[in-house]
Amino acid sequence: MRRSGIALLIGVVMVLSACTSGESSTTTSEADGAGTTDGGSSAGGTVRIGWGGSPDSLNPGNAVLAEAYTLYELIYDTPIGLDLDGNYVPELASDWSVSDDGLMWTMTIVDNAVFHDGTPLTSEDVKFSLELWRDNEDFPFLPSYPDVFTIEAPDPTTVVLSTEEAIGNFESRMVFMYIVPKHIWEGETDPVAFDNVNMIGTGSFSMLEYRQGEFVRLAANEDYWAGVPNVDEVIFQTIENPDARVTALRNGDVDMITEMPNTAISTLESDSNVEVVIGDPLAPGLSDIFFNMVPEELCPPEDGVCSGHPALRDLQVRTALAHSIDKQQLIDVALLGLGEPGISLVPSGLGDWYNSSLPDYAFDLDAANQILDDAGYLDSDGDGVRECREEQDCDDLTFRINYPNDSDTAPREMELVSGWWSEIGVASTIQPLDPDTLTSVCCPTFDFDVIRWGWGTDPDPGFLLGATLCSEIDSGFSETGYCNDDYDALYDAQAVETDPETRREMIWEMQEILLRDLPYIIPYYDQAVQAYRVDTFTGWMTGASKVALEDPSSLNVVRPAG
Amino acid sequence: MRTGRRRFVTRKVVFAAVTVFVVVTFNFFLFRVLPGDPAVGGLRDPRLSPERVAALQERFGLNDPVFVNLEGGNLLESQYFAYLGALAHGDLGTSYAFRDQPVSNLLGTALVNTVWLVLPAQVISIVAGVGLGLFAAYRRGTKVDVGALSFSLIMWSLPTFFLGIVLLFIGANWVGLPTAGRVTIGALYDTTWDQLVDIARHLLLPTATLALVLLGEYMLIMRSSVVDVLSEDYILTAKAEGLSTSRIISRHALRNALLPIVTLIALNLGFTVSGAIQVETVFSWPGLGQLTVSAVNQRDFPVLQGAFLLLAISVVLANLVVEIIYSWLDPRVSEA
Repeated sequence: MRRSGIALLIGVVMVLSACTSGESSTTTSEADGAGTTDGGSSAGGTVRIGWGGSPDSLNPGNAVLAEAYTLYELIYDTPIGLDLDGNYVPELASDWSVSDDGLMWTMTIVDNAVFHDGTPLTSEDVKFSLELWRDNEDFPFLPSYPDVFTIEAPDPTTVVLSTEEAIGNFESRMVFMYIVPKHIWEGETDPVAFDNVNMIGTGSFSMLEYRQGEFVRLAANEDYWAGVPNVDEVIFQTIENPDARVTALRNGDVDMITEMPNTAISTLESDSNVEVVIGDPLAPGLSDIFFNMVPEELCPPEDGVCSGHPALRDLQVRTALAHSIDKQQLIDVALLGLGEPGISLVPSGLGDWYNSSLPDYAFDLDAANQILDDAGYLDSDGDGVRECREEQDCDDLTFRINYPNDSDTAPREMELVSGWWSEIGVASTIQPLDPDTLTSVCCPTFDFDVIRWGWGTDPDPGFLLGATLCSEIDSGFSETGYCNDDYDALYDAQAVETDPETRREMIWEMQEILLRDLPYIIPYYDQAVQAYRVDTFTGWMTGASKVALEDPSSLNVVRPAG
Repeated sequence: MRTGRRRFVTRKVVFAAVTVFVVVTFNFFLFRVLPGDPAVGGLRDPRLSPERVAALQERFGLNDPVFVNLEGGNLLESQYFAYLGALAHGDLGTSYAFRDQPVSNLLGTALVNTVWLVLPAQVISIVAGVGLGLFAAYRRGTKVDVGALSFSLIMWSLPTFFLGIVLLFIGANWVGLPTAGRVTIGALYDTTWDQLVDIARHLLLPTATLALVLLGEYMLIMRSSVVDVLSEDYILTAKAEGLSTSRIISRHALRNALLPIVTLIALNLGFTVSGAIQVETVFSWPGLGQLTVSAVNQRDFPVLQGAFLLLAISVVLANLVVEIIYSWLDPRVSEA
């Protein structure tokens, strides 16, 4: 989804597995699930976590906020999990396989999972849950994932999902499918109105006490099928003010904080009782700079204004602009160093899907000037701004730049970018806009030249790569008006490719095409910063590429220090 | 005289009811002028298909005409009349952002939390502010007066969030007070006394912040009011009779000087339900102020309407009470 800043609404785009066993192949692993240490809970203790928000709903179908999904990951299990390195791992489904024609997926469900109320979980619960999320159209997110399946439960440990077309992203469709107990939910005639305060699931923690906007208390599930957590209790406390959150950690009021301001990093790093962890966020995100390059003949007939600057449809101009952004300096200045230079629409947090082989456009103003000279954009009147070519319907290279006014860093970023661009004879007028207004000038109206915005991603790369399809120009998903038949053909092929390696090659090629054609410049990928006390609990999961200490991969294994 | 006051009270009550109705209607339309689609909140996700957005709009009743139904059928089949009808039954609707929560639950919880914070702060600031104002007026022109006056002016003009952050750092780092929350979460107490101490420790910083900010206002009004009264002729007469200063103040000056304070107290209490937004934010207090801010960000119209209704009713009610009290204190008011 288009993301405008805070942890706001990254919701479904995030994920994690209750499985802590890291590396495992996609289809054949045993259901040993979480590799917790001893299964005992003798160590005990209460982990206190400070976070900035609070869940918006305890009903998985209704939730939008990331905090709600954090709870679901702890309280519910999903058929398939996603570990912090981006691998799909078995969870309730001990293995899964696809038929030769790619139209039928069979999952084997573990036989020892038990709901918090003592009822054993069977394939009927899995079928019920998948259909629950699929069929309620007024759940905001979850229906998108199982929408292509017909679901059967032929025996208590088998679930069969049929599709009309092969799908390449089966695993990613299962990672948000929280399995709820049929015997509790089937009585709800209107599942959207169900507040689900008891949150009966099969996960490693169960709901103890909840106060909206204040705190959540979870108790370790002493009967957890994949290994009992080491601690007795986990408390999430809402501490809205970022400085108060940092103080709470330093004073020992909390043992870990899930988010903090970049400005506090050096203070916390100098505290010997505190460890700061930096890495990819659980829901990888990126900032982007995109160009209005919609061709006249593809201007959306109903909504299109298509007032984009004609020169931006020229690849030479976009290439020169790409050479004129110093991503590292932008990160150092605007983000205090906390970002990773970006390159493609698939962020590095998506693991193997990220094409790590692509060379970026070097920051080289001389080369950029040369490209524009060669392409015939000359500053003939000597005012410092290059003129358009004669056949183009424009005067000079003056671009409108917009960004959402709820972004803290965009103002500095675009001042920098505008400065670099002025050195290659490109002028710009910068105007921040309210996100709703930005949407209305963006797409599918195409009433802009350049926009700086961003995305939070789905675990599957197919989602964001859909934003550059010809077919999405009218729908408003395409922000650029980019249209390339070769790219579209690759997109269609990867969508039905069930072999992960073949699909990965296609996804990599698509990223290469986008980098060459430059509908987007990706200044950076977001980084997450968390911190924990070293003197209270130990065993936090810090070695993975993603940082998410609130994830079951940490909370299932942490134990009191010393 | 008695019928005069009854007529006065009746008139004021009717006027208050009309005011609340106008506010309800105004708020209803005010929020709908905001850009954006409340069905999806601040959320723009291409996977939200048009069908699903339509389903969400249907659930929230957003497909109906806003004011009156001009598309044929019953004129009253509109969002506005549906809202009024539900309101008449005490139903404030269901939150858009907290999709499975009735607005009345959300508001009720937040109101209790807000009162928990604001009431002690009000009581402390009233007692301390009035006392300090009286004392300063009594010692008018001395160093004590100048000191108290400067202190009050500074407190009154300090941004609340700044004072809150400063107190938070001092209290948390040097005194060891908790940084957030109303109680120690999940704590088991040996005695009721332990529980009270825990509550007091959590209340101390936010209450002190709010009380200090409010105190300045009470002190300044009280002081100037007492100074005014002390320059009246009848005080001079009392002095001439040889009464002691303390007797003059307690018997003659205080009652008259309290009139403006009564107004201020009632108005401040009325605004209590708007929550102390800044204090609630600094100290993560889950009160009405916080709920309102998040509702604005997420276009949660039902919660906003509920919060504003609550605010309107309490402010109007507070004004009504002041006017009725005044009609008792000063009979000339009800004859006007």
